[in-house]
Amino acid sequence: MSAASSAPRLSFLQSCGRVFSIFFAFGRRSPRFKLYFVLSQMPVVIALFAQVNQVFQRQGMQSPMLFFSRGIMSFDLQFLVLLLVLFYGTSICLEEVEGRTLMYLTTRPVPKAAVILGKYAAYVLFLAVMINVGVILAFLVLNIRSLGTGAAYPVLFQFMGVLTLAILAYTAFFTLLGTLSKRALALGLMFSFGWEAVVQYFPGATQRFTIAHYLKSLLPSQTATGGLSFLTYRLEPTAPLLAVAVLLLLTVVFLAAACLVFTHKDFILSTD
Amino acid sequence: MSAVIETRKLSKWYGNVLGLSDVSLRVEPGITGLLGPNGAGKSTFLKLVTGQLKPSIGRVLIDGQAVRNNTALFGRVGFCPEYDAFYERVTGRQFLTAMLRLCGFDPAETTARAEAALDLVELRADQDRPVRSYSRGMRQRLKFAQAVAHDPDIIILDEPLNGLDPLGKRKVIRLIRDYRTEGRTIIVSSHVLPEIEALTKEIILIHQGKILATGDIHKVRDLIDTHPHIVSITCDRPRDLALRFLKEDDVLSVNFGAAPRTVVVETGNRDRFFGRLPGLLVELGISVEEITSPDDNLQAVFDYLVGK
Repeated sequence: MSAASSAPRLSFLQSCGRVFSIFFAFGRRSPRFKLYFVLSQMPVVIALFAQVNQVFQRQGMQSPMLFFSRGIMSFDLQFLVLLLVLFYGTSICLEEVEGRTLMYLTTRPVPKAAVILGKYAAYVLFLAVMINVGVILAFLVLNIRSLGTGAAYPVLFQFMGVLTLAILAYTAFFTLLGTLSKRALALGLMFSFGWEAVVQYFPGATQRFTIAHYLKSLLPSQTATGGLSFLTYRLEPTAPLLAVAVLLLLTVVFLAAACLVFTHKDFILSTD
Repeated sequence: MSAVIETRKLSKWYGNVLGLSDVSLRVEPGITGLLGPNGAGKSTFLKLVTGQLKPSIGRVLIDGQAVRNNTALFGRVGFCPEYDAFYERVTGRQFLTAMLRLCGFDPAETTARAEAALDLVELRADQDRPVRSYSRGMRQRLKFAQAVAHDPDIIILDEPLNGLDPLGKRKVIRLIRDYRTEGRTIIVSSHVLPEIEALTKEIILIHQGKILATGDIHKVRDLIDTHPHIVSITCDRPRDLALRFLKEDDVLSVNFGAAPRTVVVETGNRDRFFGRLPGLLVELGISVEEITSPDDNLQAVFDYLVGK
């Protein structure tokens, strides 16, 4: 073996790339990936149920696109994505701490921030693939009779874009949570199904303190209209471009904070 | 010789718990044994040296550079952790390959180094088995392999012999000794004294977060001049020799050892005793088979220093 100095110094981006390739390779073989992939196909099962139900009722679905945009997208955005992203995002740091493999990464000549960003990129890719595959399949199942027309495809791409933005922003947030606390999973559950689920329905500016608000601002309006509509949920959408910018900004801020914490925090690994 | 690793007033607290207190020392090339009981602060010291922990007070320097978050230094350091922790589902070869890729090597160099490291620790035949199927000894050797595969000039080994059977221990001890001959700086921690003795005479004794003594085991022993020193002499006329020893001022006690024809002498002044011993033997015409110092080992020094 030649001297260690023969190893070229990696740039920051190269370091991120190395970490990404390692955890992409490790992650795609893991039982977790297989389990989550199966879970991520729940929208397909829902869509199949809906279609089978229509067959037994001997009538076509009134509006497959409405079912897709209201049913499938709500299920994905408010439950499935949050759940899968929570598990993956918090695990970026915590699985290394709890598995006590952290020292293998932090004693290598790669910046700690590259460890976070490389793993984040690998896990976001997994999530984006599994979630979007589920959405595409659900879409195809629901629109099986009108696939040739192509009129609904722009909506599908719009929804896939929103889901990808959701994955980026929520994963970044849960990555930060995982670096901050060993109880990140519990805190994340409270955030996902407490804060995000409730505050997004508050009227006025309060709903802007949720990530869900900006995601829903990119979807077709679901605000109720009618006599008593002032009593029901009213989305006060942010302009689409601004919503995208806020989501991307939040992603960058959460990731930067996660890198900062991970770089400077002492992680105490449990002993045997 | 200049110090490769230097700590200055290094202290570490975990909340209110003291992990390490006011440690200033210099580690030079060669093997240095870090010896202390469980919970003494050995792992804390090594994690500070490898930049995994941030000092509460003080500094850690490698070749004059601060260690924490200094990625340029990490390519020169190999660390074998105390924990038996791995990415369990990957194979030994995949694990080593991943660690080498993080060191910056290209795919061809990575493969060559991984294979060389697997050969070194005799895991080549098992390289494609998942790590979770490895025995304790194989896992320990794999940890050693990842610490040396990138050919670092500073190797930090935290309890590398822990949990190994005698044969496994002998293999790892041989590996570590081989690396000493290549001019590297190696720190090996252990709470088992014979393990350290088998590796080096250069020691750091640590207890309750404090350094009790550093240096050559014999020099450390010499420093303890108030501590009685035991000398065992096997000769042809042990009774005559014992009688003569009883007349010496510095001899505290004389006993006959378990072995036949052996006199065990306890002296309060080691240097004076050994200075006069040859003359006494000649004067009495006694033929000596063996002279040993049963307590001239780490156990005796350690027990004395920690007040046992």
